[in-house]
Amino acid sequence: MNGDRCLFCRKLREEPLHFRTLLSPETPPGLCRSCAGKLAPIDPRRSCERCGRDLGRLDGRLVHGNICRDCERWAGSGRNGLFGKNRSLYSYNEMMKEIITAFKFRSDAVMAQAFRKEFRTAYRRLIRDDPSLWIRIRKGGRLFRNDPSHVIIPIPLSEERLQQRGFNQAVLLTENLGRPITEALIRRSGEEKQSKKNRRQRLKIPRNNPFTLDPQTASSIAGKKVILVDDIYTTGATLRLAAAAIEPAAPLSIDSLTLVHG
Amino acid sequence: MLLSRKDNLSPAYDEHLQRYLFGRECLVEELPFSEEIIKRHVRKRFITLHPGIEPATDGLMALLSGTKRWVCRRCGNTDPREFGYCSCSRCGKTCVYCRHCLNMGVVRACSRLATWSGPAPERTSLPWRDSSRICEWTGTLSDVQEKVADDLDQYQSEGKSFLIWAVCGSGKTEIMFRALEHALRLGERAVLATPRTDVVRELFPRFKAAFPKVPISALYAGSEDKDPEAPFVIATTHQLIRFYRYFDRVFIDEVDAFPYHYDPMLEYAVLKSAKEKAPIAYLTATPPPVLKSAFLSGKLPGAKIARRFHGYPLPVPKDCWAGNWRKLVGQGRLPESFNQWVRAKMESGKQIFVFVPSVTLLREVTELLQKRGLARVAGVHAEDPDRHTKVMFFREGQIRILVTTTILERGVTISGVEAAVLGADDPIFDERALVQIAGRVGRSASQPAGDVIYFHNGRTLEMIRARRHIEQMNSEGGF
Ligand SMILES: [Zn+2]
Ligand SMILES: [Zn+2]
Ligand SMILES: [Zn+2]
Ligand SMILES: [Zn+2]
Repeated sequence: MNGDRCLFCRKLREEPLHFRTLLSPETPPGLCRSCAGKLAPIDPRRSCERCGRDLGRLDGRLVHGNICRDCERWAGSGRNGLFGKNRSLYSYNEMMKEIITAFKFRSDAVMAQAFRKEFRTAYRRLIRDDPSLWIRIRKGGRLFRNDPSHVIIPIPLSEERLQQRGFNQAVLLTENLGRPITEALIRRSGEEKQSKKNRRQRLKIPRNNPFTLDPQTASSIAGKKVILVDDIYTTGATLRLAAAAIEPAAPLSIDSLTLVHG
Repeated sequence: MLLSRKDNLSPAYDEHLQRYLFGRECLVEELPFSEEIIKRHVRKRFITLHPGIEPATDGLMALLSGTKRWVCRRCGNTDPREFGYCSCSRCGKTCVYCRHCLNMGVVRACSRLATWSGPAPERTSLPWRDSSRICEWTGTLSDVQEKVADDLDQYQSEGKSFLIWAVCGSGKTEIMFRALEHALRLGERAVLATPRTDVVRELFPRFKAAFPKVPISALYAGSEDKDPEAPFVIATTHQLIRFYRYFDRVFIDEVDAFPYHYDPMLEYAVLKSAKEKAPIAYLTATPPPVLKSAFLSGKLPGAKIARRFHGYPLPVPKDCWAGNWRKLVGQGRLPESFNQWVRAKMESGKQIFVFVPSVTLLREVTELLQKRGLARVAGVHAEDPDRHTKVMFFREGQIRILVTTTILERGVTISGVEAAVLGADDPIFDERALVQIAGRVGRSASQPAGDVIYFHNGRTLEMIRARRHIEQMNSEGGF
């Protein structure tokens, strides 16, 4: 798989030649400028502190400070648990919808690689935002590279769905990071689709969590900072359910990274 | 004894499954039957399973260079850029999949394609076989057409393939009628394959009118004229791929196929959908090199039709130097020689096609021509959603200049239209494309001549070949 063609539209990318592309024998896979230009990247300086939503796209009345109303609700719900913050790369739009369709529903697995560079950057930013890391750097501790204090856990699919699709999109996105992956969660099948519930129902966390923790991984989570990875943050319920399943393993914190906020 | 008698009473296979899968190739998970039923049929060898993607065995270069090459069994794709890899949760390995035919459901290395290897299903009655005339077309063929129609049927009936090499505008569809009628009388199944959806849509009503008693299926994305039992099928390449050793006779219509004329998938799909040794009839104005040399060396029987139906010669293209057209257009200008030609044509009240090599250039050139304000200009490309409206306006004469990247529907034969290729030296315009473009001009008997100009920045071998091709056809046509 060479990167000279756009992963989405298959046309020649005609990337401007710069030093790095001249030196490497193969261009990394990605999108062409026309396709990339149709996406809506989220500026991290203008996003909700908690859920990472693009605040510029929200009605100003719904925003207090740097936190959106949904997140205020979560904070007051008493169901937020250990879940800290989420960061997303893009807002959901028409182009992203097409890419997700190709990726998830037409099973074009290589689409995950279209965001490799952006995913890595967002991950580094997410863990660098971590104040305790600065404290450690000041104290002369390790830098974030291959930081063993983080455990990366992709949100799983149910076995049924996994067999149907052939891959877990969250795992493929996580593979972009080039770091060890801990598949610590198991997802029960037959849960109700998020999109079929109304807003209030979605903000509630159901009594029986579809996620359970693989007990064998518990020891590797204790005292660590967990980064959950998923393709999309919709209401935050899925990620909070996953966080709730992980909590008994006593991690230090739980944050998340998703491709899309929608 | 008892057991065997029971076996005779209830067949060992499921008749619904037999009817569903016979002559077709499907992913196992696509079959609307339970896993248990499918497994039982596989065990009894009524169903054969094949891996979806296999390593390519051909290609010494691939072997020597050590790079792994793959073939998608469903669509025949071998382009290494059109395969993707991912860690697959079905087989637990890194699994390769085909990106070329994804819209039909993903085919992976661990996918299985199923074909029916049991007995053929009983066919319901074929009432058209008993009628005295199956083909009710009342037109007449010219002497030349008559001879070719006979030869085609003769060779096909002997199981031999046949090439019809006919100039654009010579009336080829009707030549197929006799061979098709014969096939239908014998109770055979036949297919007419073409790379273009618009050709299927154009041919379907014509065949329907000529063979009113025969169920005909038109297969293209979004078609509503599908009949799984139809003995005659008109299909695009993509739709053909679902068949497996089904047809007794194949007609390939690759006339005016540009820009789809180089499509290795068509060849693959035809070979897969036809029964082994089924004769293939190939209709083209510009045979690809392999067929051309097979025909010229006498290995492939065939016929040439060098005259258009109206009896006038093909317009011979002229070359005209346009300087660095790409750079000029980039600077917001059109080549002077091209400008002059367009102005002259507009002043004499003509309508023109302007062929350009890419959609980007199409937008730029259209805009530049619109700015000059000579006449109403529109640009149209293959995926243009307004394509049909624009073509209609052009046909009605409201649009005078149509900038395009593709050959339009064959129904679009506008009397007196002339053509220019801006950027004829671009590699997309090979001999076949240039000949097909020239074939758009002079199609009506009232105005059988007209300009075909190749505007270029350095004459290419393909341009020279195209002109030689046309001159050769004209001389064979007795001009
Ligand atoms: Zn693109
Ligand atoms: Zn928020
Ligand atoms: Zn394929
Ligand atoms: Zn697999």
